[in-house]
Amino acid sequence: MSLPYYHVNVFTGIKSCKVMEDPQTLAKIAKKAQRPLLVLGPKCGEVNLGGKQLLDYGIEIAKTLGAAICATANIKKKLLEAGVTPDSTYDAVEIINHLKDSDWKGVKKEGNHDFVMFLGIRPDLGNQGLSTLKHFAGHLKTATLCKYVFPNANFSLPNLKDDKWKEYLDNMIQGLKS
Amino acid sequence: MSKGAVKQKEINKIIRAEDNWEPVGPTPMPEISDLRRWDMRLLKTYKPFYAPFCDVCCFCTYGKCDLTEDKKGACGINIAGQQGRWGLMFSLMGCSAHGAHARHLVDYLIEKYGEDYKIDLGGQVDVEAPHMRTVMGLKPETLGDLKKGIEYVERGIIHGVSATHMGQEGSDLDFESKSMHIGMLDHVAMEVADIAQTIGFKFPTSVAETPLSGLGWGSVDKDKPVVTCVGHNAAVATVMIDHLMKAGIYDQVEVTGICCTSHDNIRYSDKAKIIGPLSKQIFFLKTGIADLVMTDEQCVRCDIPELAKATGSALIATSDKISYGLDDMTHKEVDEIVRLVVEEGKQVLIRDVDKAGEVAAKVLPLVAKNRKDKKVIVTKDMAQELAQTCKTCQLCDRVCPNFLNISDALADVQKGKFDLMSAVFARCVGCGKCEQECAKEVPIIKIMQAAASWDTYNIRVGRGPIQDVEIRKVGAPIVLGTIPGIIAIVGCSNYPEEIEEVAEIAEEFAKRKYIVVLSGCAAMAAGMKKDAEGKTIYDKYKPEFDAGGVLNVGSCVANAHITGAAMKVANIFAKLPLRANYEVIADYILNRVGAVGLVWGSYSQKAFTIGTGCNRMGIPVVLGPHSAKYRRLYLSRKEEDDWTVMDGRKKELVNTEEPSPEHLMVVTESKERAMITLARLCIRKNDTAQGRQIKLNHYISLYKQHMGSLPDDLQNFVRNDKDIPIVYKKEVSEYLKTVGWKPKPLLTLPTFIGTYESNIPIDAVVK
Ligand code: SF4
Ligand code: SF4
Ligand code: SF4
Repeated sequence: MSLPYYHVNVFTGIKSCKVMEDPQTLAKIAKKAQRPLLVLGPKCGEVNLGGKQLLDYGIEIAKTLGAAICATANIKKKLLEAGVTPDSTYDAVEIINHLKDSDWKGVKKEGNHDFVMFLGIRPDLGNQGLSTLKHFAGHLKTATLCKYVFPNANFSLPNLKDDKWKEYLDNMIQGLKS
Repeated sequence: MSKGAVKQKEINKIIRAEDNWEPVGPTPMPEISDLRRWDMRLLKTYKPFYAPFCDVCCFCTYGKCDLTEDKKGACGINIAGQQGRWGLMFSLMGCSAHGAHARHLVDYLIEKYGEDYKIDLGGQVDVEAPHMRTVMGLKPETLGDLKKGIEYVERGIIHGVSATHMGQEGSDLDFESKSMHIGMLDHVAMEVADIAQTIGFKFPTSVAETPLSGLGWGSVDKDKPVVTCVGHNAAVATVMIDHLMKAGIYDQVEVTGICCTSHDNIRYSDKAKIIGPLSKQIFFLKTGIADLVMTDEQCVRCDIPELAKATGSALIATSDKISYGLDDMTHKEVDEIVRLVVEEGKQVLIRDVDKAGEVAAKVLPLVAKNRKDKKVIVTKDMAQELAQTCKTCQLCDRVCPNFLNISDALADVQKGKFDLMSAVFARCVGCGKCEQECAKEVPIIKIMQAAASWDTYNIRVGRGPIQDVEIRKVGAPIVLGTIPGIIAIVGCSNYPEEIEEVAEIAEEFAKRKYIVVLSGCAAMAAGMKKDAEGKTIYDKYKPEFDAGGVLNVGSCVANAHITGAAMKVANIFAKLPLRANYEVIADYILNRVGAVGLVWGSYSQKAFTIGTGCNRMGIPVVLGPHSAKYRRLYLSRKEEDDWTVMDGRKKELVNTEEPSPEHLMVVTESKERAMITLARLCIRKNDTAQGRQIKLNHYISLYKQHMGSLPDDLQNFVRNDKDIPIVYKKEVSEYLKTVGWKPKPLLTLPTFIGTYESNIPIDAVVK
C-alpha cells in the first residue's frame, strides 16, 4: 500500500487496502457484485474533471453498473438537478451504520449490499467510516473512487492527479460497459 | 459496591440531607454504576457506533494485539471494547481538565475568602446549581459546598480511570455507561468552576444584556503594550488587571486573550479583548503583537516558548498543568522575577496566582519598550516576497488536516494575488503543520497576515446562568414545541470549512426564532462575521433566553449553564424536583425539551466529554466531520429501531414509530446537513400539534432549501393531519399518500421510565 495522500489518513494497523492500479480490474470486481451501492458525498458537486462534473461520473458509474445510489450530506439537491433521484438519503455515518448490519434490507429493500463504493466524501470522514466497515461489516467489500489512497477500504485508487483520475474513471466506466 | 449504612450516612452529611428544600431523590451522589440501567436504556436505542483509528491495541506489554476480524487481544478485549475504552479515556481526560480547573479556582478562592464565602448569583437566579442539585442532591450555599462538588467529581474519576486498566472492564456498553457517568460529572465540574469564578471574580450574573466587547486581532491597538492570555483559567489575569488598574495604566495597555481565558477576562472587565478562538493561536502569536504571553491551562499550544522566543515576546507560564520545563520562580520575590524576565529575557513559571498577576502587570510596560519593530504586520508586498521560495511541491497540502490547497494559494501570492490565501486562512485550523513540513522554510502562517481580514468585531460578554424568570417564560413554549428548540452552539474551532459558517448557522436559527445559546470558541467564531451594515449577530439579536435570542453564556465551563437551563425547565416549569433525581430529569429532557448541541469544530477531549454528558441527560449533539476521529457516536436507525415509550399518564406502552430524537451523537459532513439535522433533532414526542407544525415547518423548509425536495423521512414525524404545517399542507399530504403513511398513536406524556427495569415509579415523571 502506498502512503495516503493526506497524512491524517496515515495507516495504523494490520489490514489495509489493495491499491488498484488498473481500473479494469476494479471494474471486473465491481461487476461481480450482486447488490452494489454507490455512496455519493458533497465533494461530487465541487469537483470538475476536464469539463465533466464528478457527480456525473458517479451517476454514470451507478447507471452502468446498476448500482443503487445513496446521497449523503446535501448532494441530493445536485442529483435531483441532474435528473437523478437517489435510492436513499442518509448522512455518511448513517448509511455506514446501516451497512454494518448484515441483516439490513438495503436501500432498495432487496437485502444488504455486498459491494459499496464511495465517491466525494471528505477524506478523513471517509477513511473513518471505512474503518467502521472494515471492522464491523465483514459481510461486504468496500471500494473508494476518489483520487487518494484510503487505507481502510478493501479496494482503493492510487494517489492520482486530476488528469490521471479522470482517465482512471473513464477507463473504469469502459470496463464496466464491456 | 452498593451503598452500606456508613456510606449512606456520609452522603447524607455531605448533602445535608436534613435540609428540606426538596425531598432527597433516589440517587444522591451516584457512583459509577448507579445510573447504569438508564444508560443501558439509552444505549438500546442509541447504539455505540465505532470508527477505530487503529487496528491494534498497544496498552500493555502483552501487545501490540491485532483486533481485526473478530480477533481478541491477549486480555480478551475486542475492537468494540477497545473503542469504548478510548471513549472512556477521552471522557476522563475532558472531565479531569474541567475538574482540575474547578479545583484550582475553588482552592484559590477558599484561600482568599474562606470556605464560608456565600454563593450569590443575583436576584434572578435562585436555582443556582442545577447539576449539583440534580446529580448530588446538594444545594450549594458556599465555596465550601463547591469544594464538596469537586471532591465528588474527583472520587468518580478514580473509578473511571481504574476501569481503563487492562484486565478490567471489557464490554463496550459498560465502557459507554462509564463514559456517560464521567460526562455527567463533567457538567458538575464545569458548574462548580463557573459558579466559583462568577462569585469569586464578580462576573456579571442575573443580567441578560451584558455589554459588548472587542473581538478579533484587528481590534487590538498594537502600539500599546499588549498582553495575551492563552488558555482557560482567568484567575491570574484578574489579578493582573487589578494591578494594572492600581498602577493607573490599565487604559494604556491592551489585555487580550485567545480561547476561554479571554471570555472570562471580558466578564471581569469589558475593556479586555478577545483575539479569537484557539485556531488563531499560532497565527496571532506569530504576528509578534503580544509583548507578553501568559499561559494558563487547557488548549494551549505546547510550543509557545518557541513561538514567544521567535518574536521576542516575554512568557509567563502560570499553571502547574503546563510548565514547559521552565524554571519555577514561584518562591522568588516579585521584583527579582520581573528583572529576570525583562533584563535577562527569561521565560518563567510562576505557580502562585497573586504573584504571577503582579509580575505580569509589572513586566508588561517594561517588555513592551523596544519591541515596536517586532510588531510589523506582513504587508501584501512583503508576503509576495516571502512566498518566492515556494516550489509548489505540495508537501504542505498533504499534511494539512483540513485538506487545504496551500500550495496553489502560495503560487498565487507569488504573483501578488491573495484571494486563494484568504480562503485558506478562513479555513485554517491553526495547526502549523504546513510550515513544519516545508523544506524551503516558507513562512506560510506569517504570509497569512497579508491575506487575513484585520476587521474589528463585537462579542456579547458572557452572561453566566440563564435566569429563572426567563425559564418561567419559555418553559411552556419549549415543552409544547412552539419555540421550536434550543440550539446550543459550543466548543472548539476545528471547523471543516470557513469560520464564518458558525455565524451563518447561528443566524439561520435565530431568524427562525429558535433560542440560540453560544459558548467558548464557538461564541467567538459566531461574532466574526458582519452583515452588509457591518453588524455581527451580537449586534443584531436580543441577548435573551427567548425565541430569536442569541446569547453568549461565557467560556467552556459556562456550558453547564446551558445544560442546566434544560434541567431548570423540568424544575421551574414542570415542577419536577431536581434533588438527586437524575434519571427523571434526564428522561424529561430527552422526551420533552427540544434542546440540541452543535459542536461544529470539536477537537478536544473536553468537547467529547461535554457531549457525552449532554447525551446522558437527554440532549443530542451534532458534530462536524473532524469528529469522526473521536471514534465513537451514538446512533439509532430510524426505520429499524423500536420507538416504544411509556405514556406516563395512561401507564401504557405505546409504539410511537417516531424516531425522536433520532440520534444522541452524530457527525454531519456539511453545514447544510448540520442545519437540517439540528432542526430534526429538536423534534420531541411531547410536541403539541401546533408545536410540531412549527418544528416541521422549519425542518421542511431547510430540507427543501438544501436538498431540493421534501424530507424523505417526513412520514416518521407526522403523527396525524394536524401536525402538517399549513404552508406545505397539500404537498405533504400528497407525499404521505405516496409512501403509505398512516396516522400514529398519540400520547400525552412520553417517558422511558417503565420501559426498562428501574426503581423509579412512573408517577415520578407525572406532575
Ligand atoms: S490491553 Fe489487552 S488488547 Fe491491549 S495490548 Fe494489552 S492484552 Fe493486548
Ligand atoms: S511545502 Fe513549502 S515549498 Fe512545498 S508547496 Fe508548501 S510552501 Fe511551497
Ligand atoms: S496551519 Fe492551517 S493551512 Fe497549515 S496545515 Fe494547519 S490547518 Fe492547514
